[in-house]
Amino acid sequence: MTMARRDFLKSAATSLGGFAYLSASLTRPPDAPEKFEGTRVLGKTGIRLPIISMGVMNTDNPQLVRSALDAGYVFLDTAQGYQRGTNEAMLGEILKDRPRDSFLIATKASLPKDQATGKYGPDATEEAYTKKIDTSLKSLHLDYVDVYHHHGTWTKDATLHEPILEALQKAKKAGKIRSIGVSTHRNEPEVIHAATDSKIYDVVLTAYNFRQQHGADVQKAIARAAGAGLGIVAMKSMGGNVRGAYASGQIDARAAIKWVLQDPNVHTIICGFTTFDQMTLDMTILKDLTLSAAEREQLRQASAAANLYCQGCGVCVGQCAQGLPIPDLMRARMYLHGYRNIVAAQDLVLSLALPREVCGDCGACPVSCTNRWNLKDRLRDVVRLRAVPAHVVA
Amino acid sequence: MTMKGWVVLALMGLWAGPSLPADAAPFTFPPMEGWTLSGQPQVFSPETLYDYIDGGADLYLKYEFEELTVVEYQKGGMSVSADVYRHRDPDHAFGIYSQERVPSAEFLTIGSQGYYERAVCNFIQGGYYVKLSGENTGADDRDILLRLARRISENLPGPAALPRILAAFPAEGKRANTEKFIAKDFLGYAFLHAGFIADYDRSGQKYQLFVIVGSGPDDARAMLGQYLKQSQHEAPTAEGPYRVKDPFHGDVALFWKGKHIWGTLHLADPSLRAAYLKYFEGLDDR
Repeated sequence: MTMARRDFLKSAATSLGGFAYLSASLTRPPDAPEKFEGTRVLGKTGIRLPIISMGVMNTDNPQLVRSALDAGYVFLDTAQGYQRGTNEAMLGEILKDRPRDSFLIATKASLPKDQATGKYGPDATEEAYTKKIDTSLKSLHLDYVDVYHHHGTWTKDATLHEPILEALQKAKKAGKIRSIGVSTHRNEPEVIHAATDSKIYDVVLTAYNFRQQHGADVQKAIARAAGAGLGIVAMKSMGGNVRGAYASGQIDARAAIKWVLQDPNVHTIICGFTTFDQMTLDMTILKDLTLSAAEREQLRQASAAANLYCQGCGVCVGQCAQGLPIPDLMRARMYLHGYRNIVAAQDLVLSLALPREVCGDCGACPVSCTNRWNLKDRLRDVVRLRAVPAHVVA
Repeated sequence: MTMKGWVVLALMGLWAGPSLPADAAPFTFPPMEGWTLSGQPQVFSPETLYDYIDGGADLYLKYEFEELTVVEYQKGGMSVSADVYRHRDPDHAFGIYSQERVPSAEFLTIGSQGYYERAVCNFIQGGYYVKLSGENTGADDRDILLRLARRISENLPGPAALPRILAAFPAEGKRANTEKFIAKDFLGYAFLHAGFIADYDRSGQKYQLFVIVGSGPDDARAMLGQYLKQSQHEAPTAEGPYRVKDPFHGDVALFWKGKHIWGTLHLADPSLRAAYLKYFEGLDDR
């Protein structure tokens, strides 16, 4: 089935039948020409899917999911842990009456791990994870899922935990899952690089947004992964702590989503809408991914408000009376508050040849920051890491 | 991040630690004979909940999550993780609990309500939602979890009662333990705010009854007005019954009185619809 892009956009704009026809092209080979900008290929999986997908986790409203599928949303993202399994069960009831080739679904599970270190213990066995996969399939009333994510890792070790990888590979071989994925909400670059190097993972589901303090590193890791053929699914487009703003309209959710999709290495984005209006609104992004000047400015202001990401513009370099390496120190501060990686933050601070008294004799700071940051407070904040004993940090 | 890491952040004043409202009684984890606590409790705020439950935090924040305290009880090779979530009020604690409870579980009289499933015991009490999960607890799993649940319940403040409005839902045909409190975007509409809903199955008909709770009569009128406007109806002029042709839910029967709007979903039988609309008229408007 084919449809001219203009016709598609017209239908998307005038009805909720937006990409309902896409099911027929879900398995189109990746080298097939795109008819319009509304789909991308999920890396080496070969699955062509709409760039806008539905994250089901925040809703228990089956009618919203049904309406989304009827409207043309194709790819659903859930997890065994969402609402203690009731989210998967709700989807199972909805999906059992629909043709299997009319939707794509990803779900995910983890096993208990040390919350402090992120490492798995001896109980994280292949058998335990296989049970997780089987439980998901049973709840969903499905023979297979399109992606099964190893859920919520933030270290290389956990990402490469052998028993879980074994379980996933065997499940793939048995036809229970079509693709192996990993999901990550923090320390994403380390996880993405590990997934890329593993040669086992097919898909990465990662937090990625305009206010991510370490966004540049995430972007690079995504580019490397996509280059290696991994499918990239983005989530958390609004950033972790601004969900309220989505509802109140303080930040335009569409601008945030479009920002993520400017990255051609992102193949689809999960939108966690909870209302019919949001569902319809998110779909309009298919019509035009262009960020307007107003949207860019809004995102810039919101990003600056996040207060952590140094653009590395270098304007400050040379302005400081003490010759402080300000971009490096701001990066250390990002490690501390953004990555929450105290070791990396302290290592970086200690590696810099800093004077004993940072900002000591300066009255008003003469340095002009393009983010309009109060650098003096920020510098004093981060250099305090020098005083923290190494054995406490490690 | 390591526990030491959290300590460092706290010492540097970079992490907002636990904060209790002025009138909140402090909660302490009770001792369990023969069991030890593994270190100090970990405390998570709305800003740091993502560090503990990742993306699952979104739903908890929607239900006005305020603070989570976590400890692990250990004995030999057994362990029980105890997560105590504090929400803004009992309705919101019930709301998140109702999102996660499984109607087929073994329900218990612990706190306001609780249930047990293999290796899991969850309950609510006042504004608290307590989740216990056992590891290697073997054949004594149920006994261990229930014993700890009762001990924790004794230490928790707050009434051991479900939201009062749930008693207004007619019992006949109601599927047990399907009642939910939806904190935001009720029925998928941002303008409908919060409401309670329950599943019914009667004479082969599956439908839902709901009660939307406004902050007052003006709020309820405004909500109803927006709902009617969406369906090209005129604004409500008086309390009483209304009908909405909802593009997503179909024919919805409603009744507005005071701060409440109640109604039926997916119920075709007109006489039954009318009976339910009348049934809720006795709803306490306090």
